[in-house]
Amino acid sequence: MTGEILVRVADLRAGSGDEVLVTVGLGSCVAVLLHDPAVKVGGLAHVLLPSPALSRKDDNPAKFPQTAIPRLLELMAARGASGRRVTARLVGGASMFASLAAPGTIQMGERNVVACRQTLNQHGVALVGEATGGGFGRTVRLRVADGRVEISSVAHGTQIL
Amino acid sequence: MEDVRTLKELQLDALREVANIGAGHAATALSQMTNRTIMIAVPEVNVRPLEEVTDLVGRPDEVVAAVLMHMMGDLTGRTLVMFDERSARALCDILFRRSAGTTGEFGAMEQSGLKEAGNILASAYMNALSDFMGMMLVPSVPSLVVDLSAAVLTTTYLNFGHDRDFVFCVETSFRVEGDTQPLRGHFLLLPDTPSLRAIFDAIRLT
Repeated sequence: MTGEILVRVADLRAGSGDEVLVTVGLGSCVAVLLHDPAVKVGGLAHVLLPSPALSRKDDNPAKFPQTAIPRLLELMAARGASGRRVTARLVGGASMFASLAAPGTIQMGERNVVACRQTLNQHGVALVGEATGGGFGRTVRLRVADGRVEISSVAHGTQIL
Repeated sequence: MEDVRTLKELQLDALREVANIGAGHAATALSQMTNRTIMIAVPEVNVRPLEEVTDLVGRPDEVVAAVLMHMMGDLTGRTLVMFDERSARALCDILFRRSAGTTGEFGAMEQSGLKEAGNILASAYMNALSDFMGMMLVPSVPSLVVDLSAAVLTTTYLNFGHDRDFVFCVETSFRVEGDTQPLRGHFLLLPDTPSLRAIFDAIRLT
């Protein structure tokens, strides 16, 4: 099966074979990209908020790293991925409109990145790469076949993570 | 006023009217700035679950120039002025008296011009609201980004807003009449939820 699978805001998807997982326009949100090279299974979660405590409505596990990451690992396991082999990369968590932030506050983007790192650590998933922070948005593509992560931004063109 | 989903028709009408006054003045400012006729649409109150924030205005994968400002004083919230990429270039052509279609990259000068234009428009909008409602409204400095609409909207709501479940905006789209190059954009008023009560009180809608 080939083709791009679009992962929307507060959504998560697993893919295998020739599939490419894409999420568009990450601002303060973070894309958690998981990959198991041995079985060519990948997963992408587009998380919005660093903790379920920030929301009254917490029925969507994909909103928060604490619930999105285990759910994504389950979906990938169903496709044959093994938790021990899975590696993670994080993309996003930018601070756009930074001049409007109240001095001394920690930005939502940074909080999201920290919460993702903690959750990955709790689940014993190795974090092998990050393209986070900065003041610009990012679009990210994970090629499941070989784990290649392509990041594009309006400000800085395309890079490979 | 805990939940924007429970707004009544009369309250929605009031918000549209408030937006119409603000956008009308902002359009006048834009008209004077560009020496063109500006048409504004009927304002809309858009309410969406947070997951659909990127569909609130325009297309998520479209590049936009967006100017965000805080609104402080008797009302709190933000204003966002958005132009799609082509319109932002067309506006730069007009502001810098270039021939149509000649603005390329958004360099320091273009960004400064767009930021100042956004500042003037949002300030005109806030001034009109302030006069109409008899309130003191203080705008912050403006901040500009040129980026994907999805990134702009998620950041605007998640980093600066307070409601994490439902998001809403009072949106007025506008376009410049009778030009070879299309120039269109959106004024967004994003009051914090507690400020809705202040708006309704100010216009004696109880």
